[in-house]
Amino acid sequence: MKKIMYLEFERCIGCRSCQAACRECGGHDAKERNYVEYVDFLESRQTFPMMCMQCKDPACARVCPANAIQITDDGVVLSAMEEKCIGCRNCTFGCPFGIPKFDFEENKMYKCDMCYDRTKHDIAPMCASVCPSDAIRFIDHDEMMELRRKRTQLNLIEGKKPSENNKWQYVPEFFGVYSD
Amino acid sequence: MTQFIVKPGTKNLHHEGEKLITTHCCYCAMQCGMHIRVNEKTGKVVGVEPRYDWPVTLGKMCPKGVTAYQTVDHEERITKPLIKKNGEFVESSWDEALDLIEKNFKRLQKEHGKDALSVYGGVSMTNEKCYLVGKYARVALGTRFVDYNGRFCMSSAAGGFMKTLGTDRGATLPWPELEHTDCFFIAGWNAAECHPTSIQWLWKARDKGAKMIVVDPRETQIARLADVHLDIKSGTDSALANGMLHIIVRDGYVDEAYVKERCNNYEEMKEKVKEFTPEYTSKITGVSVEKLEKAAKIYGQSPRSVVMFCRGIEQQSKGVDNVSIYTSMALLRGQIGKFASGVATVTGQGNGQGGREHGQKADALPGYRKIADPEHVKYVAGVWGIKPEEMPKAGVSAYEMFDEIQKGNIHAMHVMCSNPAVSAPNTEYVWDSLRKLDFLVVSDFFMSETAEFADVVLPATTWAEDEGTTTNLEGRVIRIRKVKDPIGESKTDWQIMKLIAERMGKGKFFPYENVPQIFEEFRLASKGGKADYYGITYDRIDKEDGVFWPCPSEDHPGTPTMFKEKFGTPDGKANLAVVGWQEPAEIPTAKYPHTLTTGRVVFHYLSGTQTRRVKFLMEQCPLPYAELHPELASQYNLANGDKVKLTTPRSSMVLDVRLTKAIRNDHVFVPYHWGKELSVNQLTNPALDPTSRMPEFKVCAVKIEKV
Repeated sequence: MKKIMYLEFERCIGCRSCQAACRECGGHDAKERNYVEYVDFLESRQTFPMMCMQCKDPACARVCPANAIQITDDGVVLSAMEEKCIGCRNCTFGCPFGIPKFDFEENKMYKCDMCYDRTKHDIAPMCASVCPSDAIRFIDHDEMMELRRKRTQLNLIEGKKPSENNKWQYVPEFFGVYSD
Repeated sequence: MTQFIVKPGTKNLHHEGEKLITTHCCYCAMQCGMHIRVNEKTGKVVGVEPRYDWPVTLGKMCPKGVTAYQTVDHEERITKPLIKKNGEFVESSWDEALDLIEKNFKRLQKEHGKDALSVYGGVSMTNEKCYLVGKYARVALGTRFVDYNGRFCMSSAAGGFMKTLGTDRGATLPWPELEHTDCFFIAGWNAAECHPTSIQWLWKARDKGAKMIVVDPRETQIARLADVHLDIKSGTDSALANGMLHIIVRDGYVDEAYVKERCNNYEEMKEKVKEFTPEYTSKITGVSVEKLEKAAKIYGQSPRSVVMFCRGIEQQSKGVDNVSIYTSMALLRGQIGKFASGVATVTGQGNGQGGREHGQKADALPGYRKIADPEHVKYVAGVWGIKPEEMPKAGVSAYEMFDEIQKGNIHAMHVMCSNPAVSAPNTEYVWDSLRKLDFLVVSDFFMSETAEFADVVLPATTWAEDEGTTTNLEGRVIRIRKVKDPIGESKTDWQIMKLIAERMGKGKFFPYENVPQIFEEFRLASKGGKADYYGITYDRIDKEDGVFWPCPSEDHPGTPTMFKEKFGTPDGKANLAVVGWQEPAEIPTAKYPHTLTTGRVVFHYLSGTQTRRVKFLMEQCPLPYAELHPELASQYNLANGDKVKLTTPRSSMVLDVRLTKAIRNDHVFVPYHWGKELSVNQLTNPALDPTSRMPEFKVCAVKIEKV
C-alpha cells in the first residue's frame, strides 16, 4: 500500500458521512469503527473525526494478553482474531484514541481495518471516499508532504509568519478565527 | 437496465456476485454520483460504491446519500394498493383501487365541474414524471388546479431570477469552477448540512485563499469559518443586501462599464439604496456596522466572486425581493456570465431545477412557458394533441389549494411525491383541509403523514426502480438509471398517471410504453422555450457527463455558463432591483417576544418520510429540538435537555432544549423533518410572497415557556 490517511480536523463539518460509510464496508457488519464528536457544542459547531491511527507500535496490540491483534505487512492493525480473542477488553482501554470497540452480543472486539479489502487494491477506504469536506483523505505520501508545506507557505502569503510564543497566528487565517 | 459507467483509470471495488449500476442520489439537488450495488442472484440492492469520476461530487456523499439505497428494499415499503374502509387501510387489487378512483373522480367532476379535482406534485422525481404531472392534470383530469411542493422550496428564487435576469437557472456557472473563485458571499445557506458535498469546492477555494462571507442568524459550520459572519436577524435580508449595495456604490466597487452595457435601473437603484447607510442597515438587521463595512470591502474588492443563497432568504414573504437584491450585488460587480463567478441559488430538492421548468406549476407549461401566453398554449397543446381552448387556465399555488378546499372549490386531490401534511406551513389548517376533501389519492412508497389521510394509497416506486433524467443545481441534465424491478405490485408514477388517464377516457394522450418515449415527447414540448432540452439525449448525457440546458439542438454544446452575452429579458439587459425595506409578516411583540426560524439537519431530507426510516440517520437525530442561546435560555431558567413549550399565533408544541452559543441570542431554531405533534410547521407562518407564493417558514414570532 503506497497511500496514507491524512486528517485535517479543521475541515470537518460534522456530517458523519464517514461513520455511515464505515458501516458500508464489506465485513464491517454495519458497525462503524470511527467517530465524529463536537469539540464543545455549547461553544461552537466545530467537530472532529477520529479514526484508527494504525499505529506503528499499537497500544491495543501491546496490551492484548492473547496476542490476538495482528498487523499486516502493509502496517494495517486488524481486529482481534476471533479464535484468539479472550474478550478481556484491554484493547478498548489501552487505545489513546478510543477506537477499539467491544461487541457484547458477539463477545468480540472490532476496530478499523482501513477497509482492507479496498486499500489493498489502492482504492480509498469508505470514510475517505465519501468525506464531503476532504477532512479525511487517502493520498500519496508525497502529496501529504506537499500539503503540509503548502500550509506554511500560505501562512507567509497571508502575512502570518509564525513567530515564537504566538501559536494563535500560526493557525492559518483561512481556517482559523478571523483575528483582525 | 444494467449499466456501469466508469472512466478509464478509475478503480472501484467489485464484490463477487454483485453488479454496479451507475446513477445519482435520490435526495438533494447536488445529485451526487454513485454506483448502486446489486446482488446478482437475489436482485436486491445491497449497498453503495462511490462514483469517484463524477465531476461534480468526485465520489463524495453525505450520510443520507451513503444510506439512500436502504429505502429501496425497506420492510415498510407499500407494495399493494390500499383502500380505506371504516377508517382502516385494506390491501386491494389495482383494478379495485382504480375503479374506486374512476368512480369518485367522475362523480365529483359531474357534480362540481372539471376543477373539482386537483393534483399536488413534487420535484423529487425525474423530469419525465414532473413533465407528465402537468399534462396529467390538464389533459387527463382537465383541471386547472395543479401545483407542486416547489412552492415551499425554490419558487422565490425562480421569481427573483425571472425578474432580474429573465431566465431562472439555479446557478449561472458550473460547480467545479467554484474552486477558482476569490470570494463567496453566502446568504441563508447552511451548506455543511444541506448540501455537504458542495463543501469540497468551497474548501478548495479557501485553500487558495478565497474569502468567505456568510449571512446567517446561526453560526453554522461555514459561518464559523467565514472571514465575516453577518449574524443577521431572520427576515431582514432585503435591508442587509440593500446595505451592501449602498457601500458597493459609495466606495466605487461598481463595474461601471458592465452595468452601463448590461443592466437597467442603475440610477433608480442608486437613489433607492442611498437610505441604506451602514448605520441604518445595522439598526434593522442587528449586524454591527464594522462587520457590514468589512464584508462589503472584501466582496467589493474580489476580482471573482459568487453570490450564493438558499432557503434562508427565499422562504420569506419577500423572498423574491431578497433574491433580486442579492442578485443585483453580483450584477453591480459585473460578475454574471464570467468564469468562476456569478450567482447561484442552491436548490433543495433532487430535481428542484428540472421539476419547476416543465409545467407542474399552476401557471406554467413545459420549457418555462406561461399559460397566460396564447402562443405558448398553442405550442404545447399542439404537442399534446389537444385544442388550445381545451387547455385549462392557471390554477393557484400549493398552499392556496388548501384554501380552495376550505372554500369548497376543490373536492378531490391526487398527491404525488409530496408530503404536505408535514411540509406545508400552519399544518393544522392543512390537516383540516385534507380531512375536508371528499376523496384523496396519494401515491407514495411509504405511509407518509399525508397518505394517512388518504382514501386510496397507490404504491409508487423508489428512484432506483425507474429510469429518467433530473436536472441538478447547476442546470446540468443527468441520468438516473433503473437499478432493479419494482417490488411487489408497486408501479412508477408515470404508469399510475397513465392508468388513471385511461380510466378517465384520455388514454390515447398517454400512449407511453417506456420512459424514453416520454423523454422524446418532453424534449419536443420544451423545444423553443427558455428551458430548452431539445438537444439533450440519453447518449449525450452519458458521453458528456451531463448536458447543461438551454440546449436547443443536438449539435449545440449546452450552456454551462449562463448570460455570457445577454440576459433572458426581452431587451437582453438585467434589471437591477429597486426594492425598499419591509418588515417580515410577523415581528416579535410583547406576547410573542422572540423569533422562530426553521431549517434542516444533515441527517434528514424534507418531510423525513424516507430518512426517518433509515436506522443510521435516526440514531444520529431521532427527534426535533429547540436550539437556543444560553443567554436566552437563562431568562426562562432552561438548561440543556429541559422541555420547552413554543407558542406562536397558530399553535404550540413541546421540544427538548439544546443550548449553544452558535445562534443569535434572540432566535430559536427548530428542524422541520418530523410529522404530527413533532412538526414545527404547526407553528410556522403561512404568509405568502406576493409573486412566488412561497410561505414565510423562516420567520415568525414565538413565545417561550418552560414546561
